[in-house]
Amino acid sequence: MERTMPQAVPLGQMEVFQALQRLHMIIFSQNVSPCGKFLAAGNNYGQIAIFSLSAALSSEAKEESKKPMVTFQAHDGPVYSMVSTDRHLLSAGDGEVKAWLWAEILKKGCKELWRRQPPYRTSLEVPEINALLLVPKENSLILAGGDCQLHTMDLETGTFTRALWGHTDYIHCLALRERSPEVLSGGEDGAVRLWDLRTAKEVQTIEVYKHEECSRPHNGRWIGCLATDSDWMVCGGGPALTLWHLRSSTPTTVFPMRAPQKHVTFYQDLILSAGQGRCVNQWQLSGELKAQVPGSSPGLLSLSLNQQPAAPECKVLTAAGNSCRVDVFTNLGYRAFSLSF
Amino acid sequence: MGSVTDDEIIRKRLLIDGDGAGDDRRINLLVKSFIKWCYSGSQEEEYSQYQRMLITLSQCEFSMRKTLLVYDMNLRETENYEKTYKEIECSIAEAREKIAECKRQILQAKRIRKNHQEYDALVKVIHHYPDRCETLKELEALRKELEHLSHIKESVEDTLELRKKQFYVLLTVLHELKQTLENHEKPSKVEAAQETSMETDPKP
Repeated sequence: MERTMPQAVPLGQMEVFQALQRLHMIIFSQNVSPCGKFLAAGNNYGQIAIFSLSAALSSEAKEESKKPMVTFQAHDGPVYSMVSTDRHLLSAGDGEVKAWLWAEILKKGCKELWRRQPPYRTSLEVPEINALLLVPKENSLILAGGDCQLHTMDLETGTFTRALWGHTDYIHCLALRERSPEVLSGGEDGAVRLWDLRTAKEVQTIEVYKHEECSRPHNGRWIGCLATDSDWMVCGGGPALTLWHLRSSTPTTVFPMRAPQKHVTFYQDLILSAGQGRCVNQWQLSGELKAQVPGSSPGLLSLSLNQQPAAPECKVLTAAGNSCRVDVFTNLGYRAFSLSF
Repeated sequence: MGSVTDDEIIRKRLLIDGDGAGDDRRINLLVKSFIKWCYSGSQEEEYSQYQRMLITLSQCEFSMRKTLLVYDMNLRETENYEKTYKEIECSIAEAREKIAECKRQILQAKRIRKNHQEYDALVKVIHHYPDRCETLKELEALRKELEHLSHIKESVEDTLELRKKQFYVLLTVLHELKQTLENHEKPSKVEAAQETSMETDPKP
């Protein structure tokens, strides 16, 4: 990612620069506030923008409601992943995790509450953090990324408690299996590994590319997205998007989607996925495509469902990817409008 | 509050009925004609005026009754409206509850559908493998064949052992016989040699 920080730009070219910046923007991550009324989006320049969903969804929404309420420079590098606890927004990208208070985030000049860096083996290179996962039962945060390990950080004390080894290449995505507290991680090496948090050991490995039904060698073996429903798991990326039964480690349904998918999630009785195409795809568990709703970005990288109980009127699906726009779907059937950086 | 509404009423009535046109005027006229009638002179005038007064009185009573009826009607209409309003409110609340119930049922149905689909997915996977009964039968048949073959092998081995032993016995007996024959032959050869040497010796 190029760093496009200008040193001295003559005023006339400022608009040109900003337009170019918006043209090349990629939104990597999104997250909803605990009250459900705000959406944070992080892009490849390290900026985080906070949008007010309640203002944009209200009946008197104007053009300005679709712009961010505040945008600030959070990281030096891209913001690859964000999660929210009850009061904080945690963002990570260039090797560090930073925490911001939701209550203060709308004020100008917001400073991070704290920043931490997991203990890396070498101090020369600082690997990026691709995925964050909250484990509410033990109040800890799991980070995973370029150094092929999963680090666990206790949120109260800020210390790094475990480092889980096993992946041979960098990790793309994490998911939490709630019933038995296990974490699933998928990475570039094509394996989905299940880790037991209590014993800090690898419990199961599923090498997706070795199964004939779903492997697509021309795309590679990387696992780009993971979602789990305790007994079932969906994963996709290089291999086709497949539904797995975890107990027996067998692939049960292969979804016929040619483009690699970058984000997948379970929702009620459907599976929502988005990736290299323009559309958000809705699948039934039997493998049928229920609907394909086009968005405004040429490729999508993240989906976010606002299911916070405190704001049922803001219950929307937002999708963002290779553009400066965040599409808002009020009803899964069509795109209502787009928020823009 | 009462005084305000009274003022309102008074203002309205003054606007509508300011100079006493209508019922008020009729009552004033009646009072005036009554006073005139008291001071009137001739009999016919008295009678006609008396008739006129009765007519006015009955007109006043008629309009009063009309107003009372209209008032009653208004009261009943308002009651009626209140009732329908309450009924509509009740039905709105019921409809809202039904909507909430239907939403819950939709969620439930979606969960059931999801379970069905998960079940179907697993069934598909299970059907890849053959039935358990068949595999058990095949296993049973294979086991029996294996037993049978091992019996045959045992019996063949037994006969082999037996034959080996018999041949061994035969061979040992043959060997002994040969030995015995050889032993027998040797002393007779020696004797024959001794005899020939004894015969050749005394001759010269």
